[in-house]
Amino acid sequence: MAIAVFFVAAAIAVAGAIGVVTFRQPIRSVLSLVVVMIGLSILFLLLSAQFLFVAQIIVYAGAVMVLFLFVIALLGPAREIARSRLRFQTWLSALFVLALLGLIWAMLQGIQYRTPDKADLSIFGTVQSIGIGLFTTYLYPFELTSILLLVAAIGAIYLSRKKVDDL
Amino acid sequence: MSNSQLALLVLLFPAAGAILLAGRGWRLPRIVTQIVGPGVVWASFIGTLALFFGKVHGDYTYWTWIKSGTFEVPFNLLVDNLSIFMCLVITGVGGLIVTYSIGYMEHEDGPSYARFFTYMDVFIFSMLLLVLAGNFVFLIVGWAMVGLSSYLLIGFWYQRRSAVLAARKAFIMNTIGDVGMILGAFVLFVSYHAVTYFGVFQAAADLKRCPPGLVCILPLVHVQDSPTLELAAFLLLVGAVAKSAQLPLHTWLPDAMEGPTPVSALIHAATMVTAGVYLVGRMHPIFDIATYAHNAVAIVGAVTALFAATIAIVQTDIKRVLAYSTMSQIGYMFLAVGIGAYAAGFFHLLAHAFFKALLFLAAGNIIHAMHDEQDMRKFGGLFRQLPRTSWAFLIGSLSLVGLIPLVGYFSKEQILGAAFSKPDDPLAQAVWVVGAITALLTGFYTGRMWWMAFGGKPSPERPVLVPHEARSVMLIPVLILAGLTVVGGFIQTRALGFGPSAVSDFLVSPLGKMDWEGGWIDVAVGLITTALAALLFLAAYRFYVERSWKTWSASYPWAQRLLERKYYFDEIYDAAFVRPLDGLANSGLRDIEQPILDGAVVGTGRLAMASSSSLSLTQSGYFRSYVLVFVGGAVVAAVLLLIRAAS
Amino acid sequence: MSGLDIGGSQLDASWFLLLSAILFTIGTVGVLIRRNPLVILICIELMLNAVNLTLITFSRQLLNLEGQLFALMSITVAAAEAVVGLAILVDIFRVRDVEDIDELSELKG
Repeated sequence: MAIAVFFVAAAIAVAGAIGVVTFRQPIRSVLSLVVVMIGLSILFLLLSAQFLFVAQIIVYAGAVMVLFLFVIALLGPAREIARSRLRFQTWLSALFVLALLGLIWAMLQGIQYRTPDKADLSIFGTVQSIGIGLFTTYLYPFELTSILLLVAAIGAIYLSRKKVDDL
Repeated sequence: MSNSQLALLVLLFPAAGAILLAGRGWRLPRIVTQIVGPGVVWASFIGTLALFFGKVHGDYTYWTWIKSGTFEVPFNLLVDNLSIFMCLVITGVGGLIVTYSIGYMEHEDGPSYARFFTYMDVFIFSMLLLVLAGNFVFLIVGWAMVGLSSYLLIGFWYQRRSAVLAARKAFIMNTIGDVGMILGAFVLFVSYHAVTYFGVFQAAADLKRCPPGLVCILPLVHVQDSPTLELAAFLLLVGAVAKSAQLPLHTWLPDAMEGPTPVSALIHAATMVTAGVYLVGRMHPIFDIATYAHNAVAIVGAVTALFAATIAIVQTDIKRVLAYSTMSQIGYMFLAVGIGAYAAGFFHLLAHAFFKALLFLAAGNIIHAMHDEQDMRKFGGLFRQLPRTSWAFLIGSLSLVGLIPLVGYFSKEQILGAAFSKPDDPLAQAVWVVGAITALLTGFYTGRMWWMAFGGKPSPERPVLVPHEARSVMLIPVLILAGLTVVGGFIQTRALGFGPSAVSDFLVSPLGKMDWEGGWIDVAVGLITTALAALLFLAAYRFYVERSWKTWSASYPWAQRLLERKYYFDEIYDAAFVRPLDGLANSGLRDIEQPILDGAVVGTGRLAMASSSSLSLTQSGYFRSYVLVFVGGAVVAAVLLLIRAAS
Repeated sequence: MSGLDIGGSQLDASWFLLLSAILFTIGTVGVLIRRNPLVILICIELMLNAVNLTLITFSRQLLNLEGQLFALMSITVAAAEAVVGLAILVDIFRVRDVEDIDELSELKG
């Protein structure tokens, strides 16, 4: 049963990804990304990451993607002109990307998985354990990340303020 | 005040004067310069007198300048009778000359006036450092600074091209000597690992260090001569030859007359040019052992004496006659120290300081009166018009000729007598002959000089028909020096075979006993030589006042030209050294400096610009190209990782 | 060792990793090919998500919570980065109407 769930979710994710890359209109790309995220959330749940499953949907799909939608609404539809200025871009990209994929696959073949640590699966990935981790061992990164968000917010406000000419 | 402090003060007074005048002198009223300039020199003189009467004798170390392993250089002053003697000459005669310059330089404007006295004080300080230094390093420092002061003072009127060239020539030739001297000091340091005089002498000449208050007699005989010592002595001799304008490094001295007359008097008669004699005297423990170098000193001195005297015969500029005369007289001093008669050499140094300074200052008075005319052919008949200067000049001239009872007789005869009195020393006999001939020539050219300037009728080309005597500040030093010339001889009348010998007695402790007493035959020979010289002095009257020399020079034009061109030394040096070096320098500029060195520097710049402009082509500005390169890099990294993992 | 016991069935960690690689590659393709700046930003988000999947996979395989915590941080940083990136884009769009990212090529030379 879990296997089936895996393949369904994987298919959803891949389909969404292809959609992101291929749709002409940006708004369709955004919505495709939301689909990808939902697929990934299911996979997270499969991998005992309950908290992240929820966090992904609420924060990522819910907030960040909405932000993207707002911006697209603000900026209006975009048209991509037909002729690209960089002539070899497409061919070289295809080449490099295929090479990259092949290499990653080769690397995956050679992974040596080490024995897992001892952990209790019933509380693994729960809100409690994540909370304990965040507020004790990883308090410092947690606080820094908060500051990072603050900085980003301030930066965004500053960058998008209305510019008055004779200031 | 302790003796060491006193010695240091003697040295530092002129330095303080120089600093004050350099910093503030040109802003303060002229009277300040007039008091400070000579004043500090007189202060040093008083200090030296205190050292003299206090019979001070000591090697005072004030601080250690360098200490690096076995190389240790202290700042020490050696106060012994020789250095006190030299300091008396420097500060005494120097004081008179600097005082004289108050008047001579009065036409200079404010800053220039102060500048002159600054340089003079710097010179006095340097010279005192040279004679008081107790080790080779500070000797070299003083030596070099004296050369610098000479350069600054010769080129004092720097707007004059001839003065600048003369200063440069003097400095370059002095530097050649400096190199020799420094190399000599190096040889001594390498051999004996010491830099102080006592350190070196102890090691080289087995001289025992003399405790203060005792008289040291120096054991000279039982140390073997060595090539090292000879080499060091010859190198030191090079330095002495350059500084004292002896052959072959003499060509700068006549040109140095471009400087103001007090400069010529002080530096190029009384003090700087005598530094070479001081050097040989101070280094006598070495020269006493290094026989070849010692003989070379005497030979150089004798040859130069004769050589310079011949050239003096044809000079028309009064200062140049005196310059060649100086060269000749210093040759006598070298002759004396070269045959071991050190005290005689120094006595002549003292005497020469008196009468040569006298002659220069009196000549300065004449030049001043003649509105800066120096050509003797345009003088004539000054005796009646400038009586006091004429008498002073006459006294100086007769002393130069060596007439009894002036000081010049006693000192010159001391030297010639010392040479004559060694019948079994061929070198001494040979230099006596040369010295005697030179004495006769000295009589002749001095007479010529005097008659041309003072005798006969005024020349039709005279710039000033009624000259007037100099002011007191310029006349009094002249008169004082004239007085010293008259009475100075009586402190050492040994040349007559009897009487006091104050100078050689005073110099026994540093220089050893002078072993000539003057038998009657030596005295007789001396008197005869002097008489002949005096006759030639008078003979010059016939030649020059009656203008009969024209026929003589017409019959031997080649001789006239040879002497006028100073035996073509300047031309030879120009062709042999100056032109090739000039060519080398120019080719260096053209062929090495510009293409290679400049090219390398400019080329580096061009290379940087070219490479950066070609590299900047990768910055196309296209985001997607950058990402592509990024991904390409990731591919390469992945490949490398896999290779590493596989191996 | 790569096997994961999930809900009774045996899954393999390498499947998740391969999926992640595929998603990442698709995202890269998008960044390279698309010329709309907004779409490029979206593709970058896709790449970030793929990496998160890798992190969580290993976290589950090693049974070490650090992977999940890292992924959480990654989400946060991605959010911050998206915010600032969009703000910059909005700023640029105010000045000129950019259709093609190749138009923004003044920083060259």
